[in-house]
Amino acid sequence: MSLTNTKRKALSISAAVAAIGLLAGCGSASAPAPAAPAADAGPVTIDVWGWDAESTQHVVDAFNASHDKIKVNYVLQASNTATQTNFRNVMESKKDIPCWIPGIAPISTVLVNGWAQDITKYIEPIKDTYSKGAQAAAQVDGKYYGFPAGPSATFMMANKAVYEKYGLAVPKTWEDFVTTGKELKTHGVTVINLAGEDPSTLLQMSQQAGANWFAIDGDKWKVNLQDDATMKAVDIIQKLVDNDLVAHQTYKDRPALYSYFDSGQLATVPLAWWSMTGYQTNFKASLGQWQAVDVPQFKDAKQFVSSGFADPGFVPVGCEHPAAAVEYINWTSSSKDAIEAGRNKKTGSVGVPTNLADVSAYTADVVPDKIFGAQPAAEVGAVISKAQNAAVGKFERGPNYDAWFPELQDQWGKAMAKQITLKQAMANVQAFIAKDLDSKGIKYEVSK
Amino acid sequence: MSSRLEVRKSLDGREQEPSRQARAGASASPRFSWRTKQRLKGASFTWPFVIGFAVFTLLPMVIGLGQSLFASKTSGLGFGAATVSFAGFENFARGFIDPVFWSSMLRVSIYAVVIVPVIQLISLALALLIDAVKRRVANRFRLLLLIPYMIPGIVAIMIWLYLYSPVVGPLKPFFGLFGIHADFFSSGMIWVSIGNLAVWGSIGFNMLILFGALQAVPREIFDAARVDGASEFRIAMSIKVPYVRGSLVLTGLLSIIGTLQIFNEPTLFRSISPESITKDFTPSMVIYNQAFQVGNLNYAAALSIILAAVVGVASVIIYRLTNKVES
Repeated sequence: MSLTNTKRKALSISAAVAAIGLLAGCGSASAPAPAAPAADAGPVTIDVWGWDAESTQHVVDAFNASHDKIKVNYVLQASNTATQTNFRNVMESKKDIPCWIPGIAPISTVLVNGWAQDITKYIEPIKDTYSKGAQAAAQVDGKYYGFPAGPSATFMMANKAVYEKYGLAVPKTWEDFVTTGKELKTHGVTVINLAGEDPSTLLQMSQQAGANWFAIDGDKWKVNLQDDATMKAVDIIQKLVDNDLVAHQTYKDRPALYSYFDSGQLATVPLAWWSMTGYQTNFKASLGQWQAVDVPQFKDAKQFVSSGFADPGFVPVGCEHPAAAVEYINWTSSSKDAIEAGRNKKTGSVGVPTNLADVSAYTADVVPDKIFGAQPAAEVGAVISKAQNAAVGKFERGPNYDAWFPELQDQWGKAMAKQITLKQAMANVQAFIAKDLDSKGIKYEVSK
Repeated sequence: MSSRLEVRKSLDGREQEPSRQARAGASASPRFSWRTKQRLKGASFTWPFVIGFAVFTLLPMVIGLGQSLFASKTSGLGFGAATVSFAGFENFARGFIDPVFWSSMLRVSIYAVVIVPVIQLISLALALLIDAVKRRVANRFRLLLLIPYMIPGIVAIMIWLYLYSPVVGPLKPFFGLFGIHADFFSSGMIWVSIGNLAVWGSIGFNMLILFGALQAVPREIFDAARVDGASEFRIAMSIKVPYVRGSLVLTGLLSIIGTLQIFNEPTLFRSISPESITKDFTPSMVIYNQAFQVGNLNYAAALSIILAAVVGVASVIIYRLTNKVES
């Protein structure tokens, strides 16, 4: 028996309409409403997510052993990417929503997706445990949507052998950095590496100079990628590029990158504490030649400032025990027992708890033994502590960071190849942001 | 009584249809005739493919079509869930005049015009060479040439990134021996580097198809040509190539479809030459960027359908043209 053409058409149309209807249903589904803040009387059990397979379970065990009213269940994810994917799925399904997610995106992006609860009332009483930078990073428009998260602040690693060979001092200001770069160029040495695909140096220098690319003004965003502070950073980088003082080694070709860094052709490397071990593992010839130094400052800087920003972890909308979640994460971040429980069994290191107001007790422990040669670990640790304590922390990246960052990468790449100036690049990115915000219906104003 | 219908065999081995009486008696369900049941049995062999095709091709197409008819908007600061509304063909209208999308389409079209004939020519030449040697030798080369096709795309790109590397790769010093300064990551060379990778990865498969077609050409035609004094080159050009024209059309179409949808290579090469390979370098990259960076899944779905339509139209035109030439 066969279906008639009319029946077939009717079935096809019905199927299509049903599919579109389903899609409409999926697409228009809104996130669950924020849970009413409640004092978690306990005992309660909460799920917390993470992708650390080495230490976090020990921390959770220590927490459970020392707390009666809250029991934590650690749900190990395969990776950061897997966490993002799985989290999107549970937020869509509204089932098994965890009470804690480590930082997976800038906090504004998290809010745009409707994921984070306002946890201000739980953070206010404990906020002074954490650095100003960590506090700032967790806030949007004065409210805490994330837990204070410390940035891994930038310091520098200078190849002392290279500087001594050519009788040069390691520059202390960005302006001197350009002058020193010109001297080094005469000896075939580049002063810094600016990968064509990675504009993070621009973001960090802009942050250090005091730029605010995005700010909330009532019910609209103020956007300004061309303010004076940004232009200070742009000016320095443009001089470095125009005078061919920089290398453009890509991070995609790691063997080539390490080989170049190790060759004595590069004088300075900006880095964060966690990347020291990687350099030590991959360097051969230059091991022992490096020295940890402060990140250069802008000449007119009133105080020492370092750069670096963090993506704070947050309590998802739909978690019924936000107070318990904050209590757990506060304990893991600040308790000495928790930090000790998190000691890596293989390396013996506890890492740097970057969100604390004072990290000086932890920084010397993370210094690898070969790369800095005669420079004592305590001295390197002091450089790291100084950077951590002076980190700005906050650098608002607006409601459409995921959209404009690839555009910034494109424009940065063109500027590094001298196809356009960095100033033009910033204007282009700002125009892109405006167009994208328009298409999304988000209110904004471009500041002059 | 068994309800199964069995095909009887006569004494001479030929199959016979069962009698009408047997068919009527054996039919468990009067709704289906014996012939319909036989057809259903035959069709059942295709079910694994049909199910896979429906779930992984047709259903996503329907979903994509549905997505493309909606638009999502937020308001104010953009915080919270977006409002989804029916937008009709608005996304398609935007896609048809999107200069970023169409310039990427033009870019890969020009690339396809160059790279597809190169792939075809090399594959054909290799197939003809392998066809000309003894079967044992042919088998060895066939396997060797197929290895690049068996290597996953991302792995192949990582291999070539290493080979191209101006610092640690072997190619730069190799060309340096001949006084050639080869920078495979420079803006001017990036298309050549990607094209070389495409050729390396695809000639094995194309060669295999063409070699298979060459094996089907009746050998006595070659003998007749040789008797008439034709050289091996003349035999290849005047007999073998016309015989495999159908396979050439197939491999050409597959190459065009693959090239217009190119994604892996430029995405990974983007880090190497970001000033040349932007986030919107190819149509697939534009779609990916819209879906997973900008977050406009609806517009990305519309662009996907437009890309599919362009690939379909290009395939039909090329198929028609080659058929016309053949006839």
